[in-house]
Amino acid sequence: MDPIVEKILFAILTLFIVLNYGMLVQGVIRKIGARVGRRYGIPFYQPYIDIIKNYSKRTRMTHGIMFYLGPVFRLTGGIGLLMFMPVIFGNEHFQNFSFSGDLLLILYFQFFGVLGMALGAGESGHPYSALGVSRGLSQVTAYELPLSLGVLSLAVQYNTINISDIVAAQQGGMLNWSIFTNPLAAIAMLLAFLAAMGRSPFDVVLAPQEIPIGPPTEFHSGLLGVLQLNRAIFPIAKLILFMNLLMGGATNWVELIIKTFIIYMWSVLVGTVFPRFRVDQSVRWFLGIPLAIGVLAVLFTKFF
Amino acid sequence: MVDPIYIIAALLGIAFSIGFFGKKGENLAGYLSLIGLAFVSFVSMHWLYSFMTSDIQAVQIFTTAFKPPFSINLLLGKEEALFISLINIIGLFGGLYMFDKLKSAGKNSFIALLMLIMGLNVMVMTRDLFNLFVFMEISSIAIAGLIVVTQNQKSISAGFKCMIATGIISGLLLLGIAFIYFFTGTLNLDFILAGDLESIKGVSIAIFFIMIAIVLEMKVFPANGWGLDVYTGANSGIGALLSSAYATASVYVLMKLIPLAPEKLQFLIAAIGIITFLASNLMGMRQKNPNRLLGYSSVSQIGLIMAVIGLGSVIGDYTYFIVISILISHFFAKAGLFWISGIVNSNSIQDFSILRKNKLLLVAFGVFIFALSGLPPFPSFFGKWELVMHLSASKNFIWVAALLLGSFFEAVYMFRWLGYAIKLEIPKNLKLEVKSYKLIPIVIFALALFGAGYYISMEHQYAQLINFLPLAFALAFAFIEFLPAWVKNTLAILGMAAYFYFNYESYNQLQTIFAGIFIVGGILTLLAGYAYKGKRQGFYPFALMMFAGLIGLVEANTTLEFFFAWEIMTLGSYFLIIRGKKSIKHALSYILFSIGGAYLILSGFGLATIGQVGIDLSILSTVELYAPWIFLLLAVGFMTKTGSIGLHIWLPGAHAEAEADVSPMVSAILLKAGVFGLIMIFLAMGEQFIAGVSIAYLLSWVGVLTAVMGNMMAAFQEDAKKLLAYSSIGALGYAVFGLSLMSHLGWLTAISFSVTHFMFKALLFLAIGGVVWRVKTKDMYKMGGLIKKMPLTFISVLIGIIVLAGVPPLTGFAGKWLFFQAVMEKQWFLQGGLLFFSGIITFLYCFRLIHTIFLGQLKDEHRQVKEAPFWLLVPQYIILAVIMGFSLLPSSLLQPIGEMLIPYFPDGALTWDGQMAHTAYGYWNGKVIMIIVVAIFATVFGWLLFMNRKARKIKQFNIGYAGERPYRPETTHFAYNFFAPYKKAVGFLVAPGITNFWKKVDEGAHAVSDKFTKIYSGNGQSYLIHIVAFIVIIYLISFGGF
Repeated sequence: MDPIVEKILFAILTLFIVLNYGMLVQGVIRKIGARVGRRYGIPFYQPYIDIIKNYSKRTRMTHGIMFYLGPVFRLTGGIGLLMFMPVIFGNEHFQNFSFSGDLLLILYFQFFGVLGMALGAGESGHPYSALGVSRGLSQVTAYELPLSLGVLSLAVQYNTINISDIVAAQQGGMLNWSIFTNPLAAIAMLLAFLAAMGRSPFDVVLAPQEIPIGPPTEFHSGLLGVLQLNRAIFPIAKLILFMNLLMGGATNWVELIIKTFIIYMWSVLVGTVFPRFRVDQSVRWFLGIPLAIGVLAVLFTKFF
Repeated sequence: MVDPIYIIAALLGIAFSIGFFGKKGENLAGYLSLIGLAFVSFVSMHWLYSFMTSDIQAVQIFTTAFKPPFSINLLLGKEEALFISLINIIGLFGGLYMFDKLKSAGKNSFIALLMLIMGLNVMVMTRDLFNLFVFMEISSIAIAGLIVVTQNQKSISAGFKCMIATGIISGLLLLGIAFIYFFTGTLNLDFILAGDLESIKGVSIAIFFIMIAIVLEMKVFPANGWGLDVYTGANSGIGALLSSAYATASVYVLMKLIPLAPEKLQFLIAAIGIITFLASNLMGMRQKNPNRLLGYSSVSQIGLIMAVIGLGSVIGDYTYFIVISILISHFFAKAGLFWISGIVNSNSIQDFSILRKNKLLLVAFGVFIFALSGLPPFPSFFGKWELVMHLSASKNFIWVAALLLGSFFEAVYMFRWLGYAIKLEIPKNLKLEVKSYKLIPIVIFALALFGAGYYISMEHQYAQLINFLPLAFALAFAFIEFLPAWVKNTLAILGMAAYFYFNYESYNQLQTIFAGIFIVGGILTLLAGYAYKGKRQGFYPFALMMFAGLIGLVEANTTLEFFFAWEIMTLGSYFLIIRGKKSIKHALSYILFSIGGAYLILSGFGLATIGQVGIDLSILSTVELYAPWIFLLLAVGFMTKTGSIGLHIWLPGAHAEAEADVSPMVSAILLKAGVFGLIMIFLAMGEQFIAGVSIAYLLSWVGVLTAVMGNMMAAFQEDAKKLLAYSSIGALGYAVFGLSLMSHLGWLTAISFSVTHFMFKALLFLAIGGVVWRVKTKDMYKMGGLIKKMPLTFISVLIGIIVLAGVPPLTGFAGKWLFFQAVMEKQWFLQGGLLFFSGIITFLYCFRLIHTIFLGQLKDEHRQVKEAPFWLLVPQYIILAVIMGFSLLPSSLLQPIGEMLIPYFPDGALTWDGQMAHTAYGYWNGKVIMIIVVAIFATVFGWLLFMNRKARKIKQFNIGYAGERPYRPETTHFAYNFFAPYKKAVGFLVAPGITNFWKKVDEGAHAVSDKFTKIYSGNGQSYLIHIVAFIVIIYLISFGGF
């Protein structure tokens, strides 16, 4: 088979696996949340139902071209992020398109979808959408600082920003994982990760009770369906990134699912325990302890 | 040639004959006087011409049959010819200017004028001390007579004070002359000088009296209260005579007598001069009255010349060149300004905005102010340059500092004044009466300044190498101002294109890149100029002047050429900036920061000449002494242009207030001049250390803090153009940081980023300029929903912010990626982290920019808004095409720059494999990323189109709003104070500390200035005490009392 066609086919396979995993993990976690809260909760396949429902809605409206493109940007961002990431370590087929750029591409490509979606939300004309974007961007600037310092620390540690190389360097047992070899960086990154996942206490962006789900307020039917697809793919892509950087990557899909689920649960646990921060609070918080840890991580790896 | 004795004879003769005219003879007396003055002007200029063109000897004129020392003799050489030419010219034109005034005061006032000019002529030519005294007296009396031509209390008391003060001074002079005669037995200067003065005991006191009298005559600080009152009280025409004619003669007298003084006294005179220069300019800052302000400026200029003469032994052969160049500028400019002040006839410098009613006067006013401030192409520019070079070479650093500080103070009040004239509202209660006989002298003097500047530059060993062609091209546009804008625009574009076409082959790669940004960028932004209708007067000469300066920077081979170009660029851009609507304040702070920066550059170049031959730019790489300080001075100087933190406060206002096509010029293009300068010194001087700390390391922090501050400030702006301006500050912080890395990757980043920044900033400024053009406001929250009205502009802004934010797949990401690699290599991680942070902050303002303007709710008043003018869109779409090209094929931009850098930084270059770039740490393939992203995007889009093909279009107001209806677009468009929570969290980081700091500096300087001026009480008795006290103190200093 033509190598390019093969690549594309495997990319689609990756996408398919991740999409379904994302949907299921969403449903499962909501189910767990309900059970912890002594409710019965939704069936674990509820996300599938939601998507089908959204796509089959008959009312379809658009506020304009950018409004229409917003979800496209968003999903492109999610899929692209996944495509640029080496997924299964050591497996030629699931490296996808990671040859086109290194860690820095991943870090910056995250924003492709975020900003595109923000634009789409902007054209909806809904004040809550804009409000949500304002909050989201503010928070992004804050948590990116400890995150980037953590990443820098790892980059110094492994002397590369090639993700595959970073994963390779962590092979050979749990104790080689960055989370153990560079705990400061890992802490800084995992704290930033909480906000990156947008769960409580950093969920003021969507804030369902005050600004009905923020940026996507106006989106519905097929447009919302696209966003939902992304909501399944994008977090998993981020989880894979953190897994690659901190937990030695995965050599097969089962390992990947276990590891990413653990990281996911970290944000779920924190979210269940802590109430929501206001934006200014979360910005200040990130510029406090997590930032200090990030700086320490960099200094530590540079000088020791 | 006419014997010079006829100068005296003619003037005396006419003066005497006027006495015989009857009571109605004023007209005749006036014409006769002018004819006489024209005659003597001709005679003296003829002599001057002969001295300059042929090799004739100086002539001696004997007044009797006896030879000196038994008789009085006059000397007319090249110097004397120049000085009397100046004096006679101002006599002629001053007489013309004051014709009505003098006529109404009676024919005797013409006699006073003639006597004054005659006295001054003899003061210059005479070689006899007593004769000098006599004619100084004659001139003083004539001046006093002229002062009271205006009959009011102020002028009469001024005339009286003048008489008393000059009386004391003459007494002193006479005493000195008597002593000289007693000790040497002769009054002839040549004989006195020929003798061995030092061996004669007691002669030093005689010389002291003579010199101090001459010095006092030149109105030195603080014994000059009487002189200032004269400037204030007298008619402006008299002020011109006093300042230009009388001072010119005094300067020559001092030059003539200075060899008498022992070295210590010469030095003391220089010190008095420089203190006068500094103090007068400091006090000038507080002045509101135009004539008094000019008085302070006159006193200061003469003080400077006095300092140069006193330092003659230090400066050497160039003393005369420096004196002449400063004097000539002062001569023409001060006379011109006094005359203009007379026409405006107001007590407040703010009323000079009335000059706008007469374009010719306004232009002349600007020319005079520039000449006085020592800006090119006027003579004093070369004089100050040479002075700084010599003082630096002889390590007289305190003098350099005093000189530059004083010049800076002068620039403060001069440019404030110019700003008032250009921008303030025209006063309604004033009328501008311009009579042609008053206008002629002003115009001639303004033109003379250009001629003199050219002549002086041709006299100068290095200045003659300067390429004046671009500047001349720019100035030529002043003569075709009557043409419509599109014709001039076409000519300007063709001119620049032709220049680039014929010269680019002679550039090296670095020059090509920056010449590309400057010229090609200039042409692109000029394209937008077609959008302007009418004549657009006052735009093209200055825009082209700025580009001429920028080209000059790239082409410069010597430090002088570089500095010349730097100043030309500053000058042009100043006028471009002041064209903006509310830009009076910003233009002033721009020019002050620029001049301050230029002086730092000047002193850096000065230091670099120590112990070296020539002023080729290559001397920077062979500097022997003070290398780190030179580097620091130059770097700080350049960073005033890049708007680095601490020096940035001029930038936002200046860029925001500028016109639609000027903003991209000053923001996307002009700032790169600073980058170019930094590159130049880094290449020439390498890494420098102060106290063991690398300056590059310090700069890296400056760059990082600038980036964070600029970007964060941008996020909090309500004004769209201010937002972009702050963003430029931040972006230039990146560039400075990249250079400070001193590595291949760092420089690759900085230089490629300079190119990219040009593209996206020009794109954004043009696009936003187009929006502002249509909606007539810069406040973003007043806009909204314009995407449907201006879709093409929206696309520009969209692409612009994606590049600006550095989000893949567009070319902006190349910059981010390179930065990270460079930081990894250099291991400056904390800076790297902060830079990453500042990069994320760009998202904040990028989103705000596009959202609050184009998205959200359309306001009712904008429902009829049209797309931006076609010609503003043209350059945008050209840039867009280039951006897309670079995004798809990043190597086409990065590879040539990388190759260029290999000779300087051979290690750590990128390795290219098609479009795949590798470093030791990572890799990136712009083309593949682009293809993948586009493919995914297209697929998703197609899927959505298929799913949603029947979507109904609804209006922005039709939103889910809890079942209610939103009230109005204004209340529904979330835009004002968009990042309020963010401001609450981190706003303290951008508290206006730096602005407040500069404000305090400003207030402090003005307060000191105020305190100083308090010594001038206006009381004649205190002035006399000042004079006497001054004499005593100087006496004690020179004879060891202290």
